[in-house]
Amino acid sequence: MATIDATFSLSSDITSYGLSINNTMTMTKAGSTTGLDKTTGLSRRVFTSTNQVDLLTAGTGVAADVPTDKLSSKLYIKNVGSDSSQYFIIGKGNSSGGSTETTIASDGTAYYRIGRLYAGEWMLIPWDAVATTGDITIQPSTAETMHVEYMVFFE
Amino acid sequence: MATTTASLTITSSDLVGDALSLSTTNTLHKAGTTTGLEQSTGLARVYLTAQTNVDLFGAIVDTPAFEGKAHWVYICNKSEDETEYATITIGDKVIGRLYAGDFLWMPWDTAEDTHGDNKHADIELAPSVATGMHIEYAMFHEGFQLTTAV
Repeated sequence: MATIDATFSLSSDITSYGLSINNTMTMTKAGSTTGLDKTTGLSRRVFTSTNQVDLLTAGTGVAADVPTDKLSSKLYIKNVGSDSSQYFIIGKGNSSGGSTETTIASDGTAYYRIGRLYAGEWMLIPWDAVATTGDITIQPSTAETMHVEYMVFFE
Repeated sequence: MATTTASLTITSSDLVGDALSLSTTNTLHKAGTTTGLEQSTGLARVYLTAQTNVDLFGAIVDTPAFEGKAHWVYICNKSEDETEYATITIGDKVIGRLYAGDFLWMPWDTAEDTHGDNKHADIELAPSVATGMHIEYAMFHEGFQLTTAV
Protein backbone atom coordinates (compact mmCIF):
# COMPACT_ATOMS: atom_id res chain seq x y z
CA MET A 1 0.00 0.00 0.00
CA ALA A 2 1.23 3.43 -0.92
CA THR A 3 0.21 6.84 0.32
CA ILE A 4 -0.57 9.41 -2.35
CA ASP A 5 -1.72 12.84 -1.21
CA ALA A 6 -3.23 15.43 -3.50
CA THR A 7 -3.59 18.93 -2.10
CA PHE A 8 -5.79 21.48 -3.82
CA SER A 9 -5.49 25.14 -2.96
CA LEU A 10 -7.47 27.98 -4.44
CA SER A 11 -7.31 31.62 -3.55
CA SER A 12 -9.35 34.38 -5.09
CA ASP A 13 -10.34 38.00 -4.68
CA ILE A 14 -13.33 37.39 -6.93
CA THR A 15 -15.70 38.37 -4.14
CA SER A 16 -15.50 41.28 -1.75
CA TYR A 17 -14.57 38.99 1.11
CA GLY A 18 -12.15 36.79 -0.78
CA LEU A 19 -12.50 33.06 -1.26
CA SER A 20 -10.14 30.24 -0.51
CA ILE A 21 -10.37 26.47 -0.72
CA ASN A 22 -7.79 24.17 0.78
CA ASN A 23 -8.28 20.44 0.68
CA THR A 24 -6.11 17.34 0.77
CA MET A 25 -7.23 13.91 -0.31
CA THR A 26 -5.40 10.68 0.15
CA MET A 27 -6.08 8.54 -2.89
CA THR A 28 -7.63 5.27 -1.75
CA LYS A 29 -8.97 2.12 -3.33
CA ALA A 30 -12.71 1.97 -3.85
CA GLY A 31 -14.65 1.62 -0.62
CA SER A 32 -11.59 1.27 1.58
CA THR A 33 -8.90 3.20 3.38
CA THR A 34 -6.15 1.36 1.55
CA GLY A 35 -4.06 3.61 -0.64
CA LEU A 36 -3.82 3.38 -4.39
CA ASP A 37 -0.63 1.61 -5.36
CA LYS A 38 -0.27 1.89 -9.13
CA THR A 39 0.44 4.64 -11.60
CA THR A 40 1.11 5.08 -15.29
CA GLY A 41 3.83 7.53 -14.38
CA LEU A 42 3.91 11.03 -15.74
CA SER A 43 3.62 10.90 -19.51
CA ARG A 44 4.23 13.65 -22.04
CA ARG A 45 2.82 13.73 -25.53
CA VAL A 46 3.38 16.00 -28.50
CA PHE A 47 0.68 16.95 -31.01
CA THR A 48 1.12 18.48 -34.44
CA SER A 49 -2.37 18.21 -35.89
CA THR A 50 -5.92 19.07 -34.89
CA ASN A 51 -7.11 15.47 -35.04
CA GLN A 52 -9.19 14.22 -32.13
CA VAL A 53 -7.50 11.12 -30.72
CA ASP A 54 -7.44 9.00 -27.60
CA LEU A 55 -5.13 10.31 -24.93
CA LEU A 56 -5.93 7.26 -22.84
CA THR A 57 -7.66 4.19 -24.20
CA ALA A 58 -9.40 2.25 -21.49
CA GLY A 59 -7.86 -1.17 -21.05
CA THR A 60 -4.98 -0.75 -23.49
CA GLY A 61 -1.61 0.94 -23.82
CA VAL A 62 -0.40 2.75 -20.71
CA ALA A 63 -3.92 2.33 -19.31
CA ALA A 64 -3.94 -1.44 -19.79
CA ASP A 65 -4.07 -2.12 -16.06
CA VAL A 66 -6.48 0.65 -15.10
CA PRO A 67 -9.66 -1.01 -13.79
CA THR A 68 -12.60 -0.83 -16.16
CA ASP A 69 -15.23 -1.65 -13.57
CA LYS A 70 -15.89 1.59 -11.73
CA LEU A 71 -13.11 1.26 -9.20
CA SER A 72 -10.95 4.12 -7.99
CA SER A 73 -8.77 5.87 -10.56
CA LYS A 74 -7.59 9.46 -10.63
CA LEU A 75 -6.53 11.25 -13.78
CA TYR A 76 -4.31 14.32 -13.99
CA ILE A 77 -3.90 16.25 -17.26
CA LYS A 78 -2.04 19.49 -17.91
CA ASN A 79 -1.60 21.64 -21.01
CA VAL A 80 2.05 22.55 -20.62
CA GLY A 81 2.03 25.10 -23.43
CA SER A 82 2.57 28.82 -22.97
CA ASP A 83 0.42 30.34 -25.74
CA SER A 84 -2.73 31.57 -24.03
CA SER A 85 -4.80 31.19 -27.21
CA GLN A 86 -4.08 27.50 -27.70
CA TYR A 87 -6.09 24.80 -25.98
CA PHE A 88 -6.93 21.12 -25.89
CA ILE A 89 -10.52 19.88 -25.91
CA ILE A 90 -10.73 17.05 -23.40
CA GLY A 91 -13.58 14.60 -23.74
CA LYS A 92 -14.70 11.15 -22.80
CA GLY A 93 -15.81 8.42 -25.16
CA ASN A 94 -14.99 7.69 -28.77
CA SER A 95 -12.51 9.88 -30.62
CA SER A 96 -13.18 10.59 -34.28
CA GLY A 97 -9.59 10.22 -35.42
CA GLY A 98 -10.10 13.22 -37.68
CA SER A 99 -10.18 16.96 -37.31
CA THR A 100 -13.91 17.02 -36.57
CA GLU A 101 -14.93 16.38 -33.00
CA THR A 102 -17.11 13.34 -32.41
CA THR A 103 -20.77 14.32 -32.45
CA ILE A 104 -22.18 14.69 -28.97
CA ALA A 105 -25.32 12.58 -28.98
CA SER A 106 -28.02 13.76 -26.64
CA ASP A 107 -27.76 10.60 -24.55
CA GLY A 108 -24.00 11.10 -24.23
CA THR A 109 -23.28 7.40 -24.47
CA ALA A 110 -20.76 7.58 -27.29
CA TYR A 111 -18.97 10.80 -26.42
CA TYR A 112 -19.23 13.90 -24.34
CA ARG A 113 -16.98 16.91 -24.19
CA ILE A 114 -15.63 17.73 -20.73
CA GLY A 115 -13.88 21.03 -21.29
CA ARG A 116 -10.93 22.98 -22.62
CA LEU A 117 -7.46 23.20 -21.16
CA TYR A 118 -5.69 26.39 -22.15
CA ALA A 119 -1.96 26.94 -21.64
CA GLY A 120 -0.92 26.11 -18.09
CA GLU A 121 -4.29 24.73 -17.09
CA TRP A 122 -4.70 21.36 -15.44
CA MET A 123 -7.43 19.06 -14.22
CA LEU A 124 -7.78 16.23 -11.73
CA ILE A 125 -10.80 13.96 -12.02
CA PRO A 126 -11.86 10.45 -11.12
CA TRP A 127 -11.79 8.24 -14.19
CA ASP A 128 -14.43 5.62 -14.76
CA ALA A 129 -12.40 3.80 -17.38
CA VAL A 130 -15.22 1.66 -18.70
CA ALA A 131 -14.26 -0.30 -21.78
CA THR A 132 -14.99 1.11 -25.24
CA THR A 133 -16.77 4.33 -24.23
CA GLY A 134 -14.56 5.31 -21.31
CA ASP A 135 -11.59 6.54 -23.31
CA ILE A 136 -10.19 9.98 -22.61
CA THR A 137 -10.01 11.97 -25.83
CA ILE A 138 -7.97 15.02 -26.72
CA GLN A 139 -8.08 17.45 -29.61
CA PRO A 140 -5.58 20.31 -30.07
CA SER A 141 -6.91 23.67 -31.20
CA THR A 142 -4.07 24.16 -33.64
CA ALA A 143 -1.72 22.11 -35.76
CA GLU A 144 1.23 23.95 -34.26
CA THR A 145 3.25 21.86 -31.86
CA MET A 146 1.46 21.44 -28.54
CA HIS A 147 2.37 19.40 -25.47
CA VAL A 148 0.33 17.72 -22.79
CA GLU A 149 1.34 15.88 -19.64
CA TYR A 150 -0.86 13.30 -17.94
CA MET A 151 -0.80 10.67 -15.25
CA VAL A 152 -3.19 8.08 -13.85
CA PHE A 153 -3.24 6.73 -10.31
CA PHE A 154 -5.21 3.51 -9.92
CA GLU A 155 -5.75 0.31 -7.97
CA MET B 1 -9.93 42.25 -12.70
CA ALA B 2 -9.98 39.46 -10.18
CA THR B 3 -7.17 37.03 -9.63
CA THR B 4 -8.01 33.41 -8.88
CA THR B 5 -5.17 30.96 -8.48
CA ALA B 6 -5.56 27.19 -8.36
CA SER B 7 -2.74 24.96 -7.19
CA LEU B 8 -2.24 21.24 -6.97
CA THR B 9 0.46 19.27 -5.23
CA ILE B 10 0.65 15.50 -5.51
CA THR B 11 3.15 13.74 -3.31
CA SER B 12 4.04 10.19 -2.43
CA SER B 13 7.08 8.81 -0.71
CA ASP B 14 6.36 5.16 -1.44
CA LEU B 15 4.40 4.83 -4.68
CA VAL B 16 7.49 4.49 -6.81
CA GLY B 17 11.15 3.88 -6.06
CA ASP B 18 11.93 7.55 -5.57
CA ALA B 19 9.74 10.13 -3.91
CA LEU B 20 7.07 11.58 -6.16
CA SER B 21 6.35 15.28 -6.03
CA LEU B 22 4.31 17.18 -8.59
CA SER B 23 3.27 20.78 -8.15
CA THR B 24 1.40 23.04 -10.52
CA THR B 25 -0.31 26.41 -10.29
CA ASN B 26 -2.34 28.39 -12.74
CA THR B 27 -4.37 31.58 -12.75
CA LEU B 28 -7.91 31.23 -14.02
CA HIS B 29 -8.42 33.29 -17.18
CA LYS B 30 -11.23 34.01 -19.55
CA ALA B 31 -10.97 31.69 -22.54
CA GLY B 32 -8.06 32.52 -24.79
CA THR B 33 -7.01 35.60 -22.84
CA THR B 34 -4.93 36.60 -19.85
CA THR B 35 -7.87 38.39 -18.22
CA GLY B 36 -8.92 36.87 -14.93
CA LEU B 37 -12.31 35.29 -14.34
CA GLU B 38 -14.70 37.59 -12.51
CA GLN B 39 -17.68 35.41 -11.59
CA SER B 40 -18.24 32.58 -9.14
CA THR B 41 -21.05 30.64 -7.52
CA GLY B 42 -19.12 30.74 -4.27
CA LEU B 43 -18.45 27.60 -2.30
CA ALA B 44 -21.71 25.78 -1.64
CA ARG B 45 -22.47 22.88 0.67
CA VAL B 46 -25.46 20.56 0.47
CA TYR B 47 -26.67 17.55 2.43
CA LEU B 48 -28.20 14.95 0.14
CA THR B 49 -30.48 12.33 1.65
CA ALA B 50 -31.52 10.40 -1.44
CA GLN B 51 -29.71 8.50 -4.15
CA THR B 52 -31.41 10.61 -6.76
CA ASN B 53 -29.22 11.90 -9.56
CA VAL B 54 -29.30 15.71 -9.26
CA ASP B 55 -27.90 18.66 -11.15
CA LEU B 56 -25.13 20.48 -9.31
CA PHE B 57 -24.77 22.78 -12.29
CA GLY B 58 -27.73 22.83 -14.61
CA ALA B 59 -27.39 22.80 -18.35
CA ILE B 60 -26.95 26.07 -20.14
CA VAL B 61 -29.83 26.16 -22.58
CA ASP B 62 -28.49 28.92 -24.77
CA THR B 63 -25.44 26.89 -25.61
CA PRO B 64 -24.05 28.89 -28.56
CA ALA B 65 -23.83 32.04 -26.45
CA PHE B 66 -21.84 30.31 -23.74
CA GLU B 67 -19.92 27.63 -25.61
CA GLY B 68 -16.19 28.12 -25.34
CA LYS B 69 -16.47 30.31 -22.26
CA ALA B 70 -14.28 29.33 -19.33
CA HIS B 71 -15.95 27.40 -16.54
CA TRP B 72 -14.06 25.64 -13.74
CA VAL B 73 -15.75 23.22 -11.39
CA TYR B 74 -14.72 22.00 -7.94
CA ILE B 75 -16.65 19.18 -6.26
CA CYS B 76 -15.76 17.41 -3.02
CA ASN B 77 -17.43 14.48 -1.29
CA LYS B 78 -17.22 15.39 2.40
CA SER B 79 -18.40 12.01 3.64
CA GLU B 80 -16.17 10.31 6.20
CA ASP B 81 -17.39 6.79 5.41
CA GLU B 82 -14.94 5.27 2.94
CA THR B 83 -17.64 3.07 1.40
CA GLU B 84 -19.75 6.02 0.32
CA TYR B 85 -19.26 7.65 -3.04
CA ALA B 86 -20.83 10.15 -5.38
CA THR B 87 -21.06 9.39 -9.08
CA ILE B 88 -20.31 12.44 -11.22
CA THR B 89 -21.81 12.70 -14.67
CA ILE B 90 -21.65 15.26 -17.44
CA GLY B 91 -24.61 15.00 -19.75
CA ASP B 92 -25.27 11.27 -19.53
CA LYS B 93 -21.58 10.39 -19.52
CA VAL B 94 -20.20 9.18 -16.21
CA ILE B 95 -16.91 10.84 -15.32
CA GLY B 96 -16.19 8.76 -12.25
CA ARG B 97 -16.77 8.26 -8.57
CA LEU B 98 -15.74 10.55 -5.74
CA TYR B 99 -15.24 8.47 -2.63
CA ALA B 100 -15.20 9.95 0.85
CA GLY B 101 -12.80 12.88 0.92
CA ASP B 102 -12.19 12.86 -2.82
CA PHE B 103 -12.40 16.01 -4.89
CA LEU B 104 -12.25 16.93 -8.55
CA TRP B 105 -11.19 20.05 -10.41
CA MET B 106 -12.05 20.27 -14.06
CA PRO B 107 -13.00 22.59 -16.90
CA TRP B 108 -16.58 22.51 -18.08
CA ASP B 109 -17.40 23.31 -21.65
CA THR B 110 -21.10 23.54 -22.33
CA ALA B 111 -20.90 21.97 -25.73
CA GLU B 112 -23.88 21.75 -28.00
CA ASP B 113 -25.29 18.28 -28.51
CA THR B 114 -27.63 16.74 -31.05
CA HIS B 115 -30.73 17.38 -29.01
CA GLY B 116 -32.77 20.33 -30.16
CA ASP B 117 -32.73 22.26 -26.92
CA ASN B 118 -29.09 21.59 -26.06
CA LYS B 119 -29.93 20.96 -22.44
CA HIS B 120 -27.70 18.06 -21.65
CA ALA B 121 -24.31 19.37 -20.58
CA ASP B 122 -25.36 19.57 -16.95
CA ILE B 123 -23.03 18.32 -14.24
CA GLU B 124 -24.84 15.71 -12.20
CA LEU B 125 -24.17 13.96 -8.93
CA ALA B 126 -25.72 10.80 -7.50
CA PRO B 127 -24.95 9.72 -3.92
CA SER B 128 -24.41 6.01 -3.33
CA VAL B 129 -26.46 6.10 -0.14
CA ALA B 130 -29.62 7.75 1.10
CA THR B 131 -28.38 8.12 4.66
CA GLY B 132 -27.01 11.57 4.05
CA MET B 133 -23.94 12.86 2.27
CA HIS B 134 -22.34 16.29 2.46
CA ILE B 135 -21.12 17.69 -0.83
CA GLU B 136 -19.20 20.92 -1.39
CA TYR B 137 -18.99 22.52 -4.81
CA ALA B 138 -18.06 25.72 -6.54
CA MET B 139 -17.80 27.11 -10.04
CA PHE B 140 -15.62 29.93 -11.36
CA HIS B 141 -16.64 31.19 -14.76
CA GLU B 142 -17.02 33.95 -17.32
CA GLY B 143 -20.70 33.51 -17.97
CA PHE B 144 -23.57 31.31 -16.87
CA GLN B 145 -27.19 31.29 -17.85
CA LEU B 146 -29.59 31.91 -15.00
CA THR B 147 -33.05 30.42 -15.23
CA THR B 148 -35.82 32.81 -16.16
CA ALA B 149 -38.23 33.36 -13.27
CA VAL B 150 -41.74 31.97 -13.66
